[in-house]
Amino acid sequence: MFLSGFEFNLVELGHFAAYLAFAVALVMALAPAAAQFFHRPELARVGINASIAVFVLTTLGGLAMIHAFVTDNFSVQYVATNSNSKLPLFYKVSALWGGHEGSLYLWVWVLTLYTVVVGLHGRKHYPDRLPTILAVQGALMVGFFGLILFLSNPFLRLFPMPPDGRDLNPLLQDPGMVFHPPMLYLGYVGFSVPFAFAMAALITRWKSEYWIAHIRRWALIAWGFLTTGIILGGWWAYYELGWGGYWAWDPVENASFMPWLVGTALVHSITVQERRRMLHAWNIFLVITAFSLSLLGTFLVRSGVLSSVHAFAVDPGRGAYILAFMTVVLTVSFSIFLARGRYQEAEEGMTSMLSRESMFVWNNVVFTVAAACVLLGTLYPLALEALSGDKITVGAPYFNAVMVPIFLAALLLMAVAPLVPWRKANPERLRSRLLVPVALGLTAGVVMLVAAWPLHWTGPVAAALIAFVSGTIFTDYARAVRQRRVQHPGELLPRSLARTLLGNRRHYGGMIVHLGIITIAIGLTGSGLFRLEKSVVMAPGEVVEVGSERLRFDGVRSFQRDNYFTLQGQFTLLDRGVVVLPERRRYPVQEMPTTESGIHSTLWRDVYVVIADPVGEGNKTKWGVHVYVNPLIQWIWGGGLIALFGLGVTLTSRRRTARDAVAAPAVAS
Amino acid sequence: MNKTWLRLVVCICGLLLSFTLPVWAEPVQEDPLDREVLEIAKDLRCTVCQNQPVAESNADLAKDMRQIIREQLVAGKSRAEIMDYFMARYGDYVLMKPPTERAGLLLWIIPPLLLITLALLSWVFLRQRSRTSPPPAAALSKQDQVRVRAARQQQD
Repeated sequence: MFLSGFEFNLVELGHFAAYLAFAVALVMALAPAAAQFFHRPELARVGINASIAVFVLTTLGGLAMIHAFVTDNFSVQYVATNSNSKLPLFYKVSALWGGHEGSLYLWVWVLTLYTVVVGLHGRKHYPDRLPTILAVQGALMVGFFGLILFLSNPFLRLFPMPPDGRDLNPLLQDPGMVFHPPMLYLGYVGFSVPFAFAMAALITRWKSEYWIAHIRRWALIAWGFLTTGIILGGWWAYYELGWGGYWAWDPVENASFMPWLVGTALVHSITVQERRRMLHAWNIFLVITAFSLSLLGTFLVRSGVLSSVHAFAVDPGRGAYILAFMTVVLTVSFSIFLARGRYQEAEEGMTSMLSRESMFVWNNVVFTVAAACVLLGTLYPLALEALSGDKITVGAPYFNAVMVPIFLAALLLMAVAPLVPWRKANPERLRSRLLVPVALGLTAGVVMLVAAWPLHWTGPVAAALIAFVSGTIFTDYARAVRQRRVQHPGELLPRSLARTLLGNRRHYGGMIVHLGIITIAIGLTGSGLFRLEKSVVMAPGEVVEVGSERLRFDGVRSFQRDNYFTLQGQFTLLDRGVVVLPERRRYPVQEMPTTESGIHSTLWRDVYVVIADPVGEGNKTKWGVHVYVNPLIQWIWGGGLIALFGLGVTLTSRRRTARDAVAAPAVAS
Repeated sequence: MNKTWLRLVVCICGLLLSFTLPVWAEPVQEDPLDREVLEIAKDLRCTVCQNQPVAESNADLAKDMRQIIREQLVAGKSRAEIMDYFMARYGDYVLMKPPTERAGLLLWIIPPLLLITLALLSWVFLRQRSRTSPPPAAALSKQDQVRVRAARQQQD
């Protein structure tokens, strides 16, 4: 009795902590202004301690919620709607972000985490600007805590207390969905750090030489988490949704993809500012845009505007709040940008039209257009319906038609740009360096064309570009290794390979990321253009052939697990003697069926089996079966891992001081 | 006698072969009509789902729509006629790929226009930047001059 009472109070303690966090965030947001107003500079430093307090308080609230989930405290409304006593423990914890209120709480929790890290890091490195940076973060927190506490509060109680909860959405009861939202939010919210830096820089006219290297790291970290989140989401969709695909250009997916595209533009163009002291204003624009798109993503997903414009109008509270909050953030940040954006002029000019810096500008053109097109396709139907009442669908065929050419252009830049030196390229030398990669690319394109004829034009073009990019990366690396071996005769080859790579981690880390992207591109091309599918009706014992794969349907059995009933089909891949077990699950609490595809993966192809509806009755029951053969699909997930590894290599490089640069000029590629 | 032996051998062979029957059994064929239905259903939106084509949805409406497509195919209607049938009932909303005229026109015009505009702007920006004279070498700091010299040596 005492214990249960304690548990109940723990929820209120967490609730109280969240309110306190709201108040402390408000203090943090106002501290620098107060310091200015009262002419008491020491007041500004309150923000630094506040950043720690707000994180501790938010964590307290989060842990109280998790405790409520784990102990099945259904007196909490959010727990009662998103959990159930039979739910496995793992999913009880992750149910915290299984619904609307909890996802927002996770958002702000991640924001306080980033803020405390910035606070601790900044005390040593940029103490004079830290209060302003934290004030921007604090203002964002106030906005989100306001939404959480007043419009979608996860701590609200339910009376009378229901005997059991309504369970977590079965689609979310999956390891992929446990990690996908936190990764995505770490990405989204990660862009708030460069945003806060940029705002602080504009307000206090902080010279970019002092902060550009910091926001580069933060942007890379956010980009890495966003990449992880997106790939995890695709992986989850692939094995859980049962239609053989991984990316549907769904508005929710687009919402995460837009900040990724702008973030990609950003991490590239920051380099230009670092190396050549140009594009200051443009980079600040990208920083603000990346974070605004993160907010827009949250708005699209959380306001209900996507299911229909009318759903938004029916329950306007939350949607209107997020829309208003977003409008305020956008208006304020872009106003400050327009007023102050040119506080720092470019200090150097473009030496040549053909240089690394101009290549980065083209990269930015491509990625900005890509983000704008996704934005257009996502918002157009909403705008059209709101303005004229006409309804229109902008589905995957549109995005594929528009985006694939843009991606191919990005690949072309990826192949050429790393070979172009800073300032001014020597066209003769560039031509000779491009010779081998171009030849490789053309060969790959022709081989693809001949081997797979007839096929869509994107096939050979993608193959050619993929080979071109790989050719560039490897010949560039080989040239550097050869140069090193000339300078260090007698060195063992593995050592030369490693020292070259580790000697310029920033460059080669980036190239490894490029290799990861290329690997993903191989997977996308293979599975996008050469997917085979068959949908048949089978009786046990029958065999189906898809491509060169032969599958025997062995039958079905049904049984019960923790919190669901399942009907499991068994298929044998005859050429390998391997069994795959697709399932149809039914979760009784929510009366919701889900499909679990049966997948057999190799490096070259996945055999993907989905068991559909029964046909006929009694002994002669046959089953609808969908079989897909998806070539090279594992390369997508593998490419994601390679890209993350490369990002890690890049991030381990310390900032080179001017003295290091003189000592090792060979790496100034 | 010979005949008996022959029969026995044939029987045994037949028996042995029968074990391999599952392998030699005629594989289940896909109903070509099913494939045709799915190919059409891929380009139609399940109007009650969130952004899902009829081919991939398990919603009752999607099942009904697949059934209608099948019936119309059996009745000898062409793909275009079936698309028109659904268009007449649901409007452009039912097409997964937005039309290139009417309400969908802007969607197809804006991306290329945007690309051209941004590319032109960048070209102008790059030209303008490369025409402004670069800062004189004397403005380079001592460190930078060392760096330049080192880089030049590297090039040679």
